[in-house]
Amino acid sequence: MSVKPSIDPPASSGDGDVRKPFVGPEDLGSFDASKSLGEPGAFPYARGPHRTMYTSRLWTMRQFAGFGSAEDTNERFKYLLANGQHGLSTAFDLPTLMGRDSDDPLALGEVGRCGVAVASLADMRRLFDGIDLGSVSTSMTINAPAAILLAFYIAVAEEQGVASDKLRGTLQNDILKEFHAQNEYVFPPGPSVQLVVDTIEYCTKHLPQWNTVSVSGYHIREAGANAAEELAFTLADGMAYVQHSIDRGLDVDAFAPRLSFFFDVHNDFFEEIAKLRAARRIWAHTMRDRFGAKNERSWLLRMHCQTAGVTLTEQQPMNNVVRVAYQAMAGVLGGTQSLHTNSMDETLALPSEQAAKLALRTQQVLACETNVTQTVDPLAGSYFVEKMTNEIEAKAYAIIDQIDAMGGVLQAVDRGFFRRRIAESAHATQRSIDAGDTEIVGVNAFVDEEASGGVDILQITQQTEDMQTARLKELKATREKARHATSLDRLRQDAEDGANVMPALIEAAKAGATVGEMMETMKSVFGSYDGGPEW
Amino acid sequence: MVTAAPEKSNKQEPSGAPNASRILLAKIGLDGHDRGVKVLARSFRDAGIEVIYTGLWQTCEATMFAALQEDVDVIGVSLLSAAHMTVMPELLRLREELGLTHVPLVLGGIVPKADYPKLIDMGIAAVFNPGSSVDNIITTISELTKKRRLIVATDDVVQRFADGDARALAQVITAIQCDAPIEGWSPPKGSANVVGITGAPGVGKSSFIGKLGATLRSRGRRVAVVAIDPSSPITGGALLGDRLRMMRGTPDDAFFIRSLSTAGTSGGLAPHCADVVRAMSGFGFDDILVETVGAGQADVLVAKLVDRTLLLLMPESGDSIQFSKAGIMEIADGFVLNKCDLPGADATEAQLRGALSDDRTVWKVSAVRDLGIDAVADWVAAS
Repeated sequence: MSVKPSIDPPASSGDGDVRKPFVGPEDLGSFDASKSLGEPGAFPYARGPHRTMYTSRLWTMRQFAGFGSAEDTNERFKYLLANGQHGLSTAFDLPTLMGRDSDDPLALGEVGRCGVAVASLADMRRLFDGIDLGSVSTSMTINAPAAILLAFYIAVAEEQGVASDKLRGTLQNDILKEFHAQNEYVFPPGPSVQLVVDTIEYCTKHLPQWNTVSVSGYHIREAGANAAEELAFTLADGMAYVQHSIDRGLDVDAFAPRLSFFFDVHNDFFEEIAKLRAARRIWAHTMRDRFGAKNERSWLLRMHCQTAGVTLTEQQPMNNVVRVAYQAMAGVLGGTQSLHTNSMDETLALPSEQAAKLALRTQQVLACETNVTQTVDPLAGSYFVEKMTNEIEAKAYAIIDQIDAMGGVLQAVDRGFFRRRIAESAHATQRSIDAGDTEIVGVNAFVDEEASGGVDILQITQQTEDMQTARLKELKATREKARHATSLDRLRQDAEDGANVMPALIEAAKAGATVGEMMETMKSVFGSYDGGPEW
Repeated sequence: MVTAAPEKSNKQEPSGAPNASRILLAKIGLDGHDRGVKVLARSFRDAGIEVIYTGLWQTCEATMFAALQEDVDVIGVSLLSAAHMTVMPELLRLREELGLTHVPLVLGGIVPKADYPKLIDMGIAAVFNPGSSVDNIITTISELTKKRRLIVATDDVVQRFADGDARALAQVITAIQCDAPIEGWSPPKGSANVVGITGAPGVGKSSFIGKLGATLRSRGRRVAVVAIDPSSPITGGALLGDRLRMMRGTPDDAFFIRSLSTAGTSGGLAPHCADVVRAMSGFGFDDILVETVGAGQADVLVAKLVDRTLLLLMPESGDSIQFSKAGIMEIADGFVLNKCDLPGADATEAQLRGALSDDRTVWKVSAVRDLGIDAVADWVAAS
């Protein structure tokens, strides 16, 4: 066991800024609290989107879960609902996320592993069997095939006799960050964004209570971006969805209130708080001044946060509990509306039940015992926090300007701008850790060879894959062939005509078309994408 | 990190081995977590290693085929999908089937500790996890590559080449690259159409070559590709990423891709590129496509090596028009306007035709949408 004799404080933030030992009023320049902050719940919302924040209502503790077959997850959903939870959060398996059926050759070994497998309307029906879709709110973490999963959901609701305007929930539906970071894209960027606009347009008319896009910085940060890049790329993506929806002819105030955001909360405590405060301020100004939104609800940035999985270490895994706790507190001091805390064992495997429970308990301790909930935005007016908020805001605006100068997000994707910057930042971070400039306890500081291990791991069985394959075979043998073929023809035709494909997807879902078949049909019109420039 | 006990190497170190060792980095299945693999790719480059990254969504079979064609020293697989106990045995089976058992296979990703001994027992040379330091990984990889160096002369490569074994061609190319030709042997004379493909970075050369190659293959033609990327002038390492835009679908013995680095030379070509092309032609390919680094003026060198040259451009690309002024306009035999679905395609086409004083062909294509490729394939195939 080696322990360093003294602890040097970190001298810089992730993007190379050297910090002063202390900050005073002179560092704030012409800071005017009434303009820069406003009151909580008022423009520009730096202090939070709601006036009373956690003093009247805690953040939502939304732990993301799901694996195995639709029955496995359905059982879990019913358990959660019986225990007083009102919101369901669905994790799909990789084949579903990529729009492929469970019997696809590339799905080998991945069916039901990291989420639930849903390949057809029948799977979706099983997933929500016995659950009244009129009374729950369902979050679905799905992107490239988001429109198809939404079509399944609408079709199941219709079978239950629930009108679509009663449906509540969230689709992640953020394809742009897939091109930058998470890599679950299928179609080229242009048609992909049009598909997102299709869902926005459809939901605005038929599912007014549905949150259409969760614009996500989380994956961008996890892939290696620094805080300013996470902020800028995410907001630029949000602006792209707004612009493309306006170009479709939608009224900004009709759809903007249903956009939400999803950020990562990393280790640098005050920088993360500053990032979340700056996000709200930039969005409020952008929506009002750039897009001309009149409705205050269009100006509000509502966010979900998750602690940073990438900061968890395999060495001394118990330390991860402490990291998660600090990050969770940063998320709360930054004013998040909902929070997922990671489990300490996520660098080892999918979370075990015990680790998942401890992650939830971490939030409960924060909410019940620390009293950080007793006043809104307690850090407002801190020289340091306000300076950081100003600085990260300025950096983000500079990056957004750079993206605009390239012609927008789609053009920047085409040039490999996002991927290159993220990979370079990730490489710089790794070099800094290897050189010992960035210290990670248990990795390059306070290394303790004996303290690893000792954590129980969740194991998953292989059965789901075989069962799903058999079910798909049965579905393909028993569905009405003519209706199935006609529905896919219509989907192809609508895609070719540039019509909104949602009605055709809902019909294809009812006709027994699988996720893979609908994706292939759209691919024949939209083309597929190989990821753009890599280096 | 866990490594297998070192095997006793029965291979001798050839003289004139290439300075840079080669590693194939692959992600298999649908898992898109590529932060780790990309950080490693850059770190390997900085350590003087040539990295062939095959990108996302590869099958086990395509990965092993790539390892064979690239004649790499180590195969590194990144898996964060929990599929390692399904995928790794399948890779080992294919490695044996393709005669590559001498190439060490290493795994990085989220792997429960309990699986480590099982993986090492089945034949995985090393397992790395998110806590492994990059320095340790590089040291392990360097030791593994030292153990595995090609032996051409003692490995009946001449006979296998004559028998049409793609692994023999891959080894011959390595020998040519190392400046260590097989004594008393040269490849038979071939009759391939050799076409150079050049153009500024970002015009989509690799995607276009992937589609063009697939189209030629669908007509039963045997296709080889030489994909050239620059090496780092400081470390000699390189990131060779073009392959990932070319290989899709089922691997195919008659679609042979070899990634080469410029190995410190200027001119947009790899050393001994002409000999590599000659070997491919002698092996029996019908069409050979040579992709340059697209660095500008120096790329005119490709014209000396090939029968015909295509210049790739894209709409509203001031860069590529600028690039085209640098001498390449004169030597190109045809012009391919890629990404023709983007706005401004017609204007760029008009501008291009205006700049040409003869009737050299201009094709409008979209590699991403698979449009217009057939006409270019007709031209390539017509020798």
